[in-house]
Amino acid sequence: MPIVRLVALMAALLVPIASTVAQDVIKIGADLPMSGPNAEYGALFGSAAKLAVEHANADKMLSKTLAIQFEDSQATPQQGVVAMTKLVNIEKVPFVLSAFTGVSKAIAPVGDKAKVVSVNGGGIGPDLAELGDYFWNVIPLVNLEIRVMAPYLVQERGFKKIALIYVDDPAGEAIDKELKENVPKVGGQLVAELQVPRNSQQFTSIAAKVREAGPDLVFIASFGAQQAQIVKQLRDNGVSQQLAGYSAFASPTVTQLPEAKGALFPTQSVDWAAPGMSERVARDWKSKTGKEPNAYVANYYNAVMVFVTLAQALEKSGTPITGENLLKQRRATASFDLVGGKMEFLANGSVSMPIQINEIDGGAGKLVKAGTMAK
Amino acid sequence: MLLLQLVINGLQLGAIYALTAVGFSLIFGGTKIFHVAHGAVFTVAAYLFWWSDAELHLPWPAAALVATAAAVAFGLFMERAIYRPIQRHEGGFFTVFIAAFGVQIIIQNLIGTVFGRGFVSVATPLSRSLELLPGLFVAPVAAISIVAAMICFIALTLFLSRTHTGMAIRALAENRDLIRVFGLDPARVAQHVFAIGSAIVVPGAILAAMTEGLNPAIGAHVMLISLAATIVGGIGSLRGAACGGLLLGLAENLALWRLDPQWSEAVTFIVLFVFIIFWPAGFFGRPHGAK
Repeated sequence: MPIVRLVALMAALLVPIASTVAQDVIKIGADLPMSGPNAEYGALFGSAAKLAVEHANADKMLSKTLAIQFEDSQATPQQGVVAMTKLVNIEKVPFVLSAFTGVSKAIAPVGDKAKVVSVNGGGIGPDLAELGDYFWNVIPLVNLEIRVMAPYLVQERGFKKIALIYVDDPAGEAIDKELKENVPKVGGQLVAELQVPRNSQQFTSIAAKVREAGPDLVFIASFGAQQAQIVKQLRDNGVSQQLAGYSAFASPTVTQLPEAKGALFPTQSVDWAAPGMSERVARDWKSKTGKEPNAYVANYYNAVMVFVTLAQALEKSGTPITGENLLKQRRATASFDLVGGKMEFLANGSVSMPIQINEIDGGAGKLVKAGTMAK
Repeated sequence: MLLLQLVINGLQLGAIYALTAVGFSLIFGGTKIFHVAHGAVFTVAAYLFWWSDAELHLPWPAAALVATAAAVAFGLFMERAIYRPIQRHEGGFFTVFIAAFGVQIIIQNLIGTVFGRGFVSVATPLSRSLELLPGLFVAPVAAISIVAAMICFIALTLFLSRTHTGMAIRALAENRDLIRVFGLDPARVAQHVFAIGSAIVVPGAILAAMTEGLNPAIGAHVMLISLAATIVGGIGSLRGAACGGLLLGLAENLALWRLDPQWSEAVTFIVLFVFIIFWPAGFFGRPHGAK
């Protein structure tokens, strides 16, 4: 209810600012979009991270209270670097949550120089695996998603001719590159590659270009409000072909859009019914938000839990919790028990996981192909 | 057929741009206030319409009234609570710009907090295209946009030329001090300007909610286009702002005929630069120094 939210906001503003600040805390940072057209992602990622912090504190997993300091990246590299610089130099956190390919690539050198770990759970550009020792990923990158999606779409579903609409940022360009490489390999053809500006909001004429190309399937590689705008405007303007996207389609903005019904998208496999951590997160997430959790919830919950697991081990051995020690401890840790099961980091700081394909059904999504490892 | 499709799409988009640009131009021309928060007025109107329609299930005319009331109230608030105190303290252009820009950001965040930060749109069959000719898809909302823009523009022109308030607004644009001689209060006339300039944004905001969909950051783009259209059309000229909006909408869409889509927005600003360099007075603006 908007009015309730407005009242809650007013009440929050009236709370005296001079509240006491707890000194006895271990603080981590989050460089996420809290405003702008991608703020919805920041709210989703941040809520998942807060749930992990809540669980870690409830279970007294660390000697001090774990706290998370949010800074607004606005999903832009420039603002992301400003936020990261503040987290590193003023807040002096050893560990920062990151999102979006462009932002992650921009903040990685800042973290690397200061020996602060950055963990990405939302960006998918393949080059995020090459950003140095202090940049880790807990999300399978898009090259793995496309290697599972391309054979499924072309060989199993028979969508031979694919038109791509992609945003002109590192994530969109990475998807274009992967599709160009992988679609012909499995017997398909990329019949149109339409790059759109990041701030573009009008796609009626893009729909005309898509219709002219005559594809069997339209692959949308954007994010935030823009990908929903593309879906709506394609459907409104005579594009009736099958739609598909990458894991950003897991955003509620798309999954709840009537025009997106039937669209296909990949995510890493997560069995939310698995007993233990997965089941607990699914239950608490539903009770807090009233919604089913998605892969992003798992990623940002896991990112915080990776920190907690490493910090726990460091505290046990009496070693200070610094970025450098977190890296050493990660290299010494064979695997992590997290949402979705055991997770192992590769040498380059990224992860490989089974990827499933989902269909948007107006609810939490329908599984259409069970998790497989990318070849 | 693609060219014809792009022309129709351009006219539809241009009509929405024209509606927002005319409001901005009226306010800037009349009061000389660089109303950057015009984009925020658009956002407020669009979200209030969406909320009244999708959440409160009000009939469309009632939802449009709610949106209009909110837009006018917000416009008046900006004039009374932000711009007037700044002008009273002889704040310069930059102060006004920063204050309005700040309000735009506050509104964006407030809208995100109250209505959610995701994408929303008004579901209507009017935005669904029909295949009129093979390969030519046109939605009813395209015709509605063009007709709405024409009606608003004609009504505004008649209002400004035939009513006392309209003439006072035109006089305010010419000489703020001189209208006192006729017993008019410039502050009161400025309020009329803000009310009308904000209200005329509403049809464009409603049409955008139906066709493009909304997110809290939509106002920044609207503001940019309004400013560009005002410069292209000639500062102070409503006819120019309308033509400028139409030209930018057409240019943005026609660019796709021969260029890649990533050029579509850049073309808008290429048009703007061409005007700034070769035709700085715009379509209907007065040449620099003219009295």
